Amino acid sequence: MTAETIIQSLASGLLMGLLYGLIAVGLALIFGLMDVVNFAHGEFLMIAMYATFFLFAFFAIDPLLAAPLVAAALFVFGAVVYLLVVRFAVRAKANAGMVQIFSTFGLAIVMRGLAQFFFTPDYRSVTHSWLGGKTISIGGIFLPVPQLFGALVSIAAFGALYFFINRTDFGRALEATREDAGAVALVGIDKNRVFALGWGLGAALVGLAGAIMAMFFYIYPDVGASFALVAYVTVALGGFGSVFGAFAGGIIVGLVEATTALMLPPSLKSVGIYAVYLLVVFVRPRGLFGSI
Amino acid sequence: MDTSFAQRRRRDLIVAGCLAAIAALVPLFVKDVYVQNIMVLTLMYAALSQSWNILSGYCGQISLGHALYFGLGAYTTALLFTKFGVLPWFGMIGGGLISAVIAMALGYPCFRLRGHYFVIATIVIAETALLLFQNWDWAGAALGIDIPVRGDSWLKFQFTRSKLPYFYFALGLACVAWLVTWWLEDSKWGYWWRAVKDNPDAAESLGVVVFNSKMGAAAVSAFLTAVGGSFYAQFVSYIDPESVMGFQFSLLMALPAVLGGIGTLWGPVLGAVILIPLTELTRSFIGGSGRGVDLIVYGTLIVLISLARPQGLVGLFSGRRKEAVR
Amino acid sequence: MTISRRNVLLGATASAALLPMAARAQTSDVVIGVIYPLSGASAQIGVDAQKSFETAAEIINKKYDFDLPLARGEGLPGLGGAKVRLVFADHQADPQKGRAEAERLITQEKVCAIIGTYQSAVAVTVSQICERYQIPFMSADNSSPSLHRRGLKFYFRPAPHDEMFSAAMFDFFDAMKKKGTKIETLALFHEDTIFGTDSGNAQLKLANERGYKVVADIKYRANSPSLSAEVQQIKAASADVLMPSSYTTDGILLVKTMAELGYKPNAIVAQDAGFSEKALYDAVGDKLEAVISRGSFSLDLAAKRPMVGTINAMFKEKSGKDLNDFSSRQFMALIVMSEAINRAKSVDGDKIREALVATDIPGAQTIMPWKRVKFDDMGQNNDADPVLLQYVGGKFVTIFPPQAAVAEAVWPMK
Repeated sequence: MTAETIIQSLASGLLMGLLYGLIAVGLALIFGLMDVVNFAHGEFLMIAMYATFFLFAFFAIDPLLAAPLVAAALFVFGAVVYLLVVRFAVRAKANAGMVQIFSTFGLAIVMRGLAQFFFTPDYRSVTHSWLGGKTISIGGIFLPVPQLFGALVSIAAFGALYFFINRTDFGRALEATREDAGAVALVGIDKNRVFALGWGLGAALVGLAGAIMAMFFYIYPDVGASFALVAYVTVALGGFGSVFGAFAGGIIVGLVEATTALMLPPSLKSVGIYAVYLLVVFVRPRGLFGSI
Repeated sequence: MDTSFAQRRRRDLIVAGCLAAIAALVPLFVKDVYVQNIMVLTLMYAALSQSWNILSGYCGQISLGHALYFGLGAYTTALLFTKFGVLPWFGMIGGGLISAVIAMALGYPCFRLRGHYFVIATIVIAETALLLFQNWDWAGAALGIDIPVRGDSWLKFQFTRSKLPYFYFALGLACVAWLVTWWLEDSKWGYWWRAVKDNPDAAESLGVVVFNSKMGAAAVSAFLTAVGGSFYAQFVSYIDPESVMGFQFSLLMALPAVLGGIGTLWGPVLGAVILIPLTELTRSFIGGSGRGVDLIVYGTLIVLISLARPQGLVGLFSGRRKEAVR
Repeated sequence: MTISRRNVLLGATASAALLPMAARAQTSDVVIGVIYPLSGASAQIGVDAQKSFETAAEIINKKYDFDLPLARGEGLPGLGGAKVRLVFADHQADPQKGRAEAERLITQEKVCAIIGTYQSAVAVTVSQICERYQIPFMSADNSSPSLHRRGLKFYFRPAPHDEMFSAAMFDFFDAMKKKGTKIETLALFHEDTIFGTDSGNAQLKLANERGYKVVADIKYRANSPSLSAEVQQIKAASADVLMPSSYTTDGILLVKTMAELGYKPNAIVAQDAGFSEKALYDAVGDKLEAVISRGSFSLDLAAKRPMVGTINAMFKEKSGKDLNDFSSRQFMALIVMSEAINRAKSVDGDKIREALVATDIPGAQTIMPWKRVKFDDMGQNNDADPVLLQYVGGKFVTIFPPQAAVAEAVWPMK
């Protein structure tokens, strides 16, 4: 194994880690900050990828330009899903956790079925885009442009979310609503409005991730499944309630995956991620930076 | 409370006995193997979900990694039989014991975790096992294990066409899982779990005993789940890592209990009786279209039921159960 | 089965007692069960397969002037012109569900034969059930060599398996070496499923037997979110030939990742699967000029046998795609099965089995480059010669074996 192989693996791992972070950032908001499980997160990503694909296929809109449109569409979608489904799940008096898991799991199945019904199970790809297929090479280390761009967006998205949560009224309202919905109602904050906006925002971030992923990944109704578990582990590894944690979690997951693939047969590379998660929570039961 | 509680328990036992007796008679009238197949699966899921319910429902430790124990049971039986000629009955017990030990070994560090951290830990542990089996050449790796069927035999627990032996075994397993749950409800453990649920602060004062009771629940739950896995291996006569250890399977085991009523005696049974035939029929009669309509119907029903009856469908049958549902 | 509101209602609300009613149909038809993944991750294959089987059924049931068994008449003359009717079932890639569906087709739909299944794991259980009910099972497109070696009497596979396919690849390497091309090192890249494992094992064995050095043997997890670590290792190994065994999804990701990491392999010889799917070439075809894939079908056969072109046009009208390695094998499976049922003059499982054992269809009466269709005592057709196809200028041309080749191999890739 040459030094070049190792450096390239780590560089690829870091990029992938930031992408995992980008996929997980929306989940970190929904899952981590509102303490609501979304088992359809992977399907949100799938919808975003399809939206990007269709904008490309029918209107020749480059994924880069489509990204804000897709994010906006997903914002509406996320808020609607909250108001139509999750609102009732959160309200459940008995077994709230289970109701959340299974209502969003059912939703995931419906979304896959609908995708298959309307989009057919064919594999789609955005065949050419401004960034797609381009790669830059620095001293023999290759960095694909779409992933590099995704990594930058990931850093920006985390930065923005961090600012949003800690420095804006809405962020504080969100945090307060999670902690005590009854008390915030007294000061005139409508829990459903706050959470619907939170869900919209979380979904919009997935939309952003989907638009970027579409530049280099294939698209089909089950595509979300590959990413969902990694996203959950990323958020939990970093610790619920911590935006920075999810960011760090993504990077760690990416690097661990790359190093595991160097040492074990690549088919076992996820085992490294799982082992690190278990080790971390056994030592720190609230993840690396978690508060809940 | 004591008298009414005791009365309810006696009544539950009588109802269960009657239902089991009726169920045992059904195959005399229903000869269609496809329908019998659905009945076998329904009973198997009732048993699995009941086992899951012991740890996740009563004890409150939500596991979405029970496919691990199911797979261990299936693999232990199949490997012992195909590699060493050990009869599946011994494999069943062996698989159950292995799973129980592993459940306790995993429970020791995992029970310190709360909420989503625990759930995700159970998922990744099962996924790790799946990947290891997928790469373990001696155990067949991805090729899985094909259990050769050479005629009907109770000793080898394999039957070429008849579903009846499987049906009665699954019925027996469902009854055992139900009885264990029934017995636990009124045991010391059952009281502790209820106490902890009603008053989390009590958990602190009960600390050690509660921890031990959770370990016990994990062991019992894993044992019964593994026996279900052994049964599945014999019933299908072919296993591979994806089909016995996949994440979907962990969800499928939990679903009946959740829909029927988590942490209740009757929830898993009711959930399985509704859910499994529904799953099978939607796939068989609308899945052939290739358009995903079966998924839409199935998913919508899960969403609607879990939202409309968060305490489970058992609530529809008895208002008085509410205190037990909690 | 078409979707209608009635079906939906039936499926959702039917009690067990209603089922036989839904299943009843005209009795004079010859009913054949077809089991494929129609939902889930590989639904695309199943949906395309439906179109292929429907094309074959149409040719059998109506008059066509093709030199193909049963094409010229209407229906099966041996059974008084009975029509072939297909019943599709969805196994969702789950061996247990495949098994339950097979049992349902046999006992409720009264099918006289079953064809399937794409996933080899499901073929294991479906063929077990067929054996138990003494109903012939035809493996249309499963290529796992372990399938026919299980001592089953009712198992038949007209198409080649992975060892035959891999042997063709190594024959090709040997031939190229004789011509002076340098082929010494190989990189194997296969997924962790039955298909990938079997294919990887067969290639490893052949490489050792014939003196090629395997410099990388990468097994990866199917549908991984990323393949960059894997590609990095292939790149470091820098073999003369890269041999992937991947389905469409991973195939697309593999090719994209290779380009991103600046790796241009000298040559790619693929074990079919994703590398014969249109979706892969739609996505990354520009990076695959001169890729070689094994196959059991080639459209350029149409030059020699015009019916291949006509049948392809019929299929394309239904599916919007050209026949490929999978759809052509599916098509032939129904033709071969119906031909045997016709000769058996019966829908009895044992009689059909006897007819299948006696099957001997010359290669010219198929749409494949096969010598003929004749089953050995394990139910395998050893005369199904595989071909190697090369993707040149946006379409596939046959380059090996010499008797089927229409062009010389382009080597190395650009």
